[in-house]
Amino acid sequence: MTEQVMSYFKTILSLIFLGGLSACTPPPTESSETLTIYSARHYDSDQIIYQTFEQMHGVKVEVREANADQLLETLKAEGDNSEADLVIASDAGALWRFSDAGLTQKVSAPEIVSQIPAAYHDPDGDWFSLSRRLRLVAFDPDMFRASDLDTWGKLADPAKSGEICVRSSSNIYNLSLMSEMIARVGPDEASEWAAGIVANMARQPQGGDTDQIRAVAAGECGIAIANHYYWARLADSGVGADRAVADATRLVVPGFGDDLGAHINITGVAITKTAGNVDLALDFVSFLLSDEGQALLVEETKELPLTSQISAEAAAGDTDNIASVERSSVALSRFGENQAEAQILFDLAGWN
Amino acid sequence: MTLSSSFKTPIAIIPVLVSLIILGPVLLAIWFGVFSPSGLSWDHILNNRLLPYSLTTLFMLAVTGMLIVLIAVPLAWLISLFDFPGRKIFEWCLILPLAVPGYVLAYSWANLASVAGPIQSAFRDLTSLSARDYWFPDIFTPAGLSVILALGLFPYVYITARAAFSNQSLATLEAARSLGMSGIRLFFKVAIPAARPAIIAGLALALMEASADYGAADYLGVQTLGVGIIRAWSSYGEPTSAARLALVLIGLAFSFMLIANLAQGKSGVQQNSYRWTTPQRTQLTGLHAGLACLHCISIMLIAFGIPVLRLLWLCLENGVPRRSVFDPVISSIILASAGTAFAFICALTLVLSNHYRQRAPWITRLSAAAGYATPGAVLGLSGLFLLQMLGQSLTGIIALLLLVWIYASRFTAAGTEPLYASLTRAPASLDHAARSLRVGRISRFYRVDLPILSPGALAAGLILFVEILKELPATLMLRPFGWDTLAIRAHAYASDERLVEATLPSLLIVIAGILPVLLLSYQITRSGEALK
Repeated sequence: MTEQVMSYFKTILSLIFLGGLSACTPPPTESSETLTIYSARHYDSDQIIYQTFEQMHGVKVEVREANADQLLETLKAEGDNSEADLVIASDAGALWRFSDAGLTQKVSAPEIVSQIPAAYHDPDGDWFSLSRRLRLVAFDPDMFRASDLDTWGKLADPAKSGEICVRSSSNIYNLSLMSEMIARVGPDEASEWAAGIVANMARQPQGGDTDQIRAVAAGECGIAIANHYYWARLADSGVGADRAVADATRLVVPGFGDDLGAHINITGVAITKTAGNVDLALDFVSFLLSDEGQALLVEETKELPLTSQISAEAAAGDTDNIASVERSSVALSRFGENQAEAQILFDLAGWN
Repeated sequence: MTLSSSFKTPIAIIPVLVSLIILGPVLLAIWFGVFSPSGLSWDHILNNRLLPYSLTTLFMLAVTGMLIVLIAVPLAWLISLFDFPGRKIFEWCLILPLAVPGYVLAYSWANLASVAGPIQSAFRDLTSLSARDYWFPDIFTPAGLSVILALGLFPYVYITARAAFSNQSLATLEAARSLGMSGIRLFFKVAIPAARPAIIAGLALALMEASADYGAADYLGVQTLGVGIIRAWSSYGEPTSAARLALVLIGLAFSFMLIANLAQGKSGVQQNSYRWTTPQRTQLTGLHAGLACLHCISIMLIAFGIPVLRLLWLCLENGVPRRSVFDPVISSIILASAGTAFAFICALTLVLSNHYRQRAPWITRLSAAAGYATPGAVLGLSGLFLLQMLGQSLTGIIALLLLVWIYASRFTAAGTEPLYASLTRAPASLDHAARSLRVGRISRFYRVDLPILSPGALAAGLILFVEILKELPATLMLRPFGWDTLAIRAHAYASDERLVEATLPSLLIVIAGILPVLLLSYQITRSGEALK
């Protein structure tokens, strides 16, 4: 600890004395190799992932955590000077934006790709999926049956008027859902769907996904749209009131009225264009796809693992009915390509 | 007597440079907004979103402003002019909400007051009503946001109004009293007009802070311009559109400052009495004392006690997160200190140069105000622009320097205002005397201006420290590796809906902010007495 304090003071001293001059000096050289990660995830358990990898490979891992759009601008501003080797983001659309801006590089890694199920490949090969995130419905079983809610279209049915709790449209989970909707049924039908949801809202969009599930348990609405892991965290909570919320609600993963699978998003990783050591970066990706890496990725987050044999129930709590849901064939990159249009359609539908 | 002529030297460059330092990132953002090609979504934002965003923002600002005045001015009057049990404690306590960031206040009150929170749950348990059977004030509305922001920002006006009430020229109040004026009439006819410039200055700061808010509005789902700016960036992927929307906020800030300036110029009250004093306090007894006490306690509880205790409760109930908060505490303190030092020097330079040159101070005030009203995220973008120009990576010293620069650009206004307030409170005759006695510039600074400035300087430094401690977006964007602050840690948890884990860093921000706020209270109390 004292060492850390000293290093802070040294930094401050050099800040004062060197000032702008230091702009010309190169960064201090490190004896060991460094893997630099730009991550849009903020989980405490990720620290263990980094530490484990540091110990395994005798390297130093440096991490910048910020929102995905901020990391994107940072990478753009840094250009070729960036020290980033990897970008991690919890949304396929966000990863698409990095590759669309030309900030990532295609890497031939057949061993890694072969581990990832086909539905989770980036068609352009710019990034790798790591874990799964389901958008689903938590409902009040006294009011609805799962069969009433097993397609997204049924949620927009006038019979559900005043029953839906959902968060703001600018949230990435809603944007990605809408992006897939646009890819499947086209913008017109997607707009109608959004307008139907707005008409059925129990209240103005507010709070996060967990707040929607809680509102169902509290009786303010009968249907909450949320990502699965928020429900799983409530079910696994140390607080009795949280577990009671999970107990009072049931889950169903809506489809799109066809047999083409559900809306599932991912956490994924891309190798940056500026990556200094691509092999080391690939080692890190391999580690994340290993049993140990997958367990660390999902243990705290309650995401679903992608490759590992570890039990999905262990990862997602009592949600075994959702772990086997298949992802649709709509390319994950469409989440990013359609995102701006999705927001415009939401805006026009009055989904705040 | 041309003091300004003695400044036709290279020194005159300094305030210009400082103005440029502060304005630089704002100008970059404006340039970026105006001259970059439009993104694909700009037309949509312009046609469909700009009006609702602006109307919501104006409504929110109007309600917030009204609430702030309604809370702060009577409180300041009560504390300055009356004595009642607990007055001495309330006097400093009432500044404490300044230590609580708006977004933390929003998390806490939303947790308490939402449909699934303890208040409504208990109500349902007691009455066996369902959530759909009763009406409950909704915090997730523009009005709810206004209440939250007003609770966090009223101390700005409380501080300035209290200083004004405590230091009113004795002659004015005595004259009014000897003419038989008392109580409410004295308040409205004499005290308010005399304190108006101070109240408006505090209100302008508070409203600029409110208009740049993102965290609280986003959490409560209110579509303000601040939220729209971030949405333009994150949903549409168009930082250009974000910068353009920020122009509207900067325009709003200019109008606040112009109004504040007009209000101050028009009142033109030239304080010319040396008999500064705290007016004799009227002793309240019985019911009146009880009501005064209850009023102060209620506001303290709503703005500080209840939300902070709720955080503490959540924190104790759930245990601390496994990631150590030691480093973020150190980083927060170092960054806030460095930012404060730089912003303070900028503020002092601007204020003094205007003072000596007797030029319209409003130009520099406007430039400081522009930074204060620009959302941190937009200034963060300017910081990234600068980085691009420098051709550097966002690491080490470069990142720290950029961040401190952006802090200065964003917060210097919070430093200049208390300094101006000190200077304008001083009688002009003091200055004239110094000039007619041909006191040298340096001597005049040490013997006249420094003693006058020192209370304002302490206030400026402390407000800057607390503001920078709470700052989130620019720090999130520009900090070097390993410099997570408490605000960043709280945000990381809260953005993942783990309010419970966010409580410890949030509480630590409050605690780290309390000490400076206490110092500030102490100084205000003391300076009031010292000026007798």
